[in-house]
Amino acid sequence: MKKSLGEICFNIFNYTLLSVIAATMILPLLQLLAVSFSSPIAAESKQVFLFPMDFTLGTWKHILQNEVLWRSFGVTIYITVVGTFLSMLFTVLTAFPLSRREFLLKKPIMLAIVITMIFNAPMIPYFLTVRELGLMDTLWALIIPGLISTFNMIIVRTFFMGIPSDLDDAAKIDGCNDFRLLFQIYLPLSKPVLATIGLFYAVGFWNTFQPAVLFLRDQTLWPLQMRLRGYFISPEALAEVNLVMGDYDFNTITLKAATIIFATVPIVLVYPYLQKYFVKGAVLGSLKE
Amino acid sequence: MYLENIKKNWMLYVMIVPGILYYIIFKYIPLFGSAIAFQDYQIFKGIFGSPWVGLENFKFIFSYQDFFQVLRNTVMIAFYQLIFGFPAPIILALLFNEIRLMFFKRTVQSLFYLPHFLSWVVVGGIVFELLAAEGIINAIRELFGAAPILFMQEEGYFRTIVVISGIWKGVGWGTIIYLAAITGINPNLYEAAVIDGANRWKQIRYITLPLLFPTILIMFLLNIGNFLELGFDQIFNLLTPMTYSVGDIIETYVYRAGVLQGQFSLTTAIGLFQSVVGFILLWVFNRLARKSEQGLW
Repeated sequence: MKKSLGEICFNIFNYTLLSVIAATMILPLLQLLAVSFSSPIAAESKQVFLFPMDFTLGTWKHILQNEVLWRSFGVTIYITVVGTFLSMLFTVLTAFPLSRREFLLKKPIMLAIVITMIFNAPMIPYFLTVRELGLMDTLWALIIPGLISTFNMIIVRTFFMGIPSDLDDAAKIDGCNDFRLLFQIYLPLSKPVLATIGLFYAVGFWNTFQPAVLFLRDQTLWPLQMRLRGYFISPEALAEVNLVMGDYDFNTITLKAATIIFATVPIVLVYPYLQKYFVKGAVLGSLKE
Repeated sequence: MYLENIKKNWMLYVMIVPGILYYIIFKYIPLFGSAIAFQDYQIFKGIFGSPWVGLENFKFIFSYQDFFQVLRNTVMIAFYQLIFGFPAPIILALLFNEIRLMFFKRTVQSLFYLPHFLSWVVVGGIVFELLAAEGIINAIRELFGAAPILFMQEEGYFRTIVVISGIWKGVGWGTIIYLAAITGINPNLYEAAVIDGANRWKQIRYITLPLLFPTILIMFLLNIGNFLELGFDQIFNLLTPMTYSVGDIIETYVYRAGVLQGQFSLTTAIGLFQSVVGFILLWVFNRLARKSEQGLW
């Protein structure tokens, strides 16, 4: 087919624009990566663009030796693993009965749940409730209050409803009870959707911030995001050790850049493997009301 | 009949118990806990022992200078986000849909989704670093001989930064739903249009956009209920004391005055006001939507 001049112009414009937008999504990270491998002098004199200047590993050595940062990293891994597992369990256990035709309370319970999507409780009563439960200054405060995301629960429920009911008739005749039906028949069939919501939960726990701000006074429990925030506000906390050690191949600029990369690397590493799942999940979740 | 059903399906009833407890404890109790907005809540007396004061707290916040500043900041940022942030993924999806090169499409798509997975702490960190005195933006400005600007400390830039960083983080993710809707459009329509001599622009104008409209409407309604809820994480991580006057929003204010300073009743009243405004907006727009197309309910 012949293309008109206007169409060619539009194509050039469109490809260029989208390339530029896509570039802005990755270039800031690459720039900070370059800064984190540059000497403090180069970083301060604004010479580092996409390649390190005066390449040095000093910043990274310092970061990777920082026990406090690793401790927060450990906390984040812990809440991500435990939180994601418990969230999936709670979500699946809630979604399954709500997907069954024979479950009489299906409608009123769904209504009660959807109401909580429209009316959010204000921050303070929420805070007071969690405090009354004695969760302040425990890692459970980062896990339990967010156990079920209604959005994810509805995705799972929709998926369950799409599984043909002939299957469970057959299973029931063979004497399969509801728990076995869920765990041995429905869950194996639901792997794609479980991978999707698992990813959503894991990213949520990995990025947990507000609950830590609200519920953790004890700094030893701080997850990674909270620790990063602390370092961004007062980079001295990160740099302190260096004065004692007399090691000066980094400064607050390179340290901040390196901590940002430190927190981003795990996500970027798992990202390519998960990409095929999350698009499907996002579509499922938003189309189904 | 109920008894029989419970007897037969008792396992389903057992299964849902954890979920129900979760929703009661973490959604409904805090919701009813909002009652402290009508009390002079005292921490040691609790919600049952604290004296009721009617609308005193609401009267107070409406006579309170701080509240109006915070409300104005919230409404303005929300408004800018609606005008610039809401259409952004729609426009991007339309442009993206015109791409025919599969390799290009896949690469660009991966990059678009990436920022969604970064936390606001990290994005805030990136924004601060890029806009710092030694940051890359100022380095580029210097190449052109311009003096460096401390963007994050200046009131004039704050709202722009909030809107742009919000678009940067969310726009790619936001396109997913619109792209899915566009994919669902019957290709015959486009073929017929091409035969009738419609160019790409006309195809977008007369086929894609009208058929995309129901999706846009639903996304709009889902957004409007949270109009005043801008997201604590974003603002908290971009705000500095120098930008409070333009950037302090309801959520950050409630955190400082409520959680940190213990003004529980007053800040709950503010939070309740926020929720009620959200609900009214949702209700009004849903009614309007139902008149033309279909609404959320």
